Amino acid sequence: MKAVFTFALMTLRMLFRRRTLWGILLVILLALAGIASVPSFDVSNQGRFVLDFGLFGIELGALLLALGLAASLYPRDRETRTLMPLIAVPLSRGQYLMGRFLGAAIVQAAALIVTCLGLMLILILHGLHIPADLLPATLLILVEGWFLLSTVFFFSFFTSPPLNWPLTTMLFIVSQMSVAEFAGLVPSAPGLMRSLRILLPHADVFHIKDPIAHGFQIEPVYFLIAVFYGVCYSAFMLSLALAVFRSRDLK
Amino acid sequence: MRRNSLFLTVFAVPLLLTSCFTDYDVAEVAPQEFLDSESNSGQTADHSHADGADCEECAEETGHTVDAAMEADQAGGPSGHSHGSAERNHGTQWFFNQPWAAPFIWGKLLRDGIVFLVMAAGIFFATGWRRKK
Repeated sequence: MKAVFTFALMTLRMLFRRRTLWGILLVILLALAGIASVPSFDVSNQGRFVLDFGLFGIELGALLLALGLAASLYPRDRETRTLMPLIAVPLSRGQYLMGRFLGAAIVQAAALIVTCLGLMLILILHGLHIPADLLPATLLILVEGWFLLSTVFFFSFFTSPPLNWPLTTMLFIVSQMSVAEFAGLVPSAPGLMRSLRILLPHADVFHIKDPIAHGFQIEPVYFLIAVFYGVCYSAFMLSLALAVFRSRDLK
Repeated sequence: MRRNSLFLTVFAVPLLLTSCFTDYDVAEVAPQEFLDSESNSGQTADHSHADGADCEECAEETGHTVDAAMEADQAGGPSGHSHGSAERNHGTQWFFNQPWAAPFIWGKLLRDGIVFLVMAAGIFFATGWRRKK
């Protein structure tokens, strides 16, 4: 376990040195500032609009961060030949994957907390109300981000980064669909589509921006269940990634 | 061979669990009481009325009329025909058909989480064991 943490720390330092992280973070913060600067035209519920779109912006940011941070990690390690000495002696393939994932997950968490604080600052500057559930809502988006991160790792073991981006984005879009909508994509095979949908995550579980923006209270137990569901699904995707990684011939 | 067993594990396990055949689109699996409460609160999708028309159904169910709302608009600004914060509004069935508002699917979420966790452990140990062998 110590080897995993040490490698995660190395990954964390490496990712903080990259310009990709800072570029994506800047884009998200600029987008949030842009959302807040849309004139309200005296509409009384501008706070809802800013919150709703702000949290949606953070969710898109989680997708961008997952792709920007992890899509090129394994391909670059393989290309620069740093992978071989790493998994030859100090790390197993599982430890390599966990170290890389843990490092990227911590960086993603830090970046999303910064965007949440940015949204809070924007709400304060505009004199708008900050709901108590804003931080838990960001936490759920973070869990969704970890699921996306594990998906990026899964695809990165058998596709190139340019293909990883559209594949992960497609999974992100499909996982937002309800079962009926997904089955409607191929109306001639509803049974098959419903069976496939069982394996895909229900991303709507992580979305509580609507109730927060409209002043509804969320049951604390729901947070725990949603976090548990997201972590379990991420573990499932990581196990699939590891299975693919273990089957790869790296010579 | 290894890939075949992996795909079998991934696809067969959830399908073997008969409870997984029921997906949880809230609108599909909602109990009657949940749907009744939606229609009683006047938020069915087909419940609509033209601008300026009296809404007797609304008046009976939620205790307000469109006329009253329009008067309020004229008096207090462009608030529209709407309910207060944290109250169910018209035509918002989609809003309440989300997991956070449907406690009857939380058990299914928990069940799916456990299924995915068991599958993750199964894949982890199966591929590790094969590799050692």
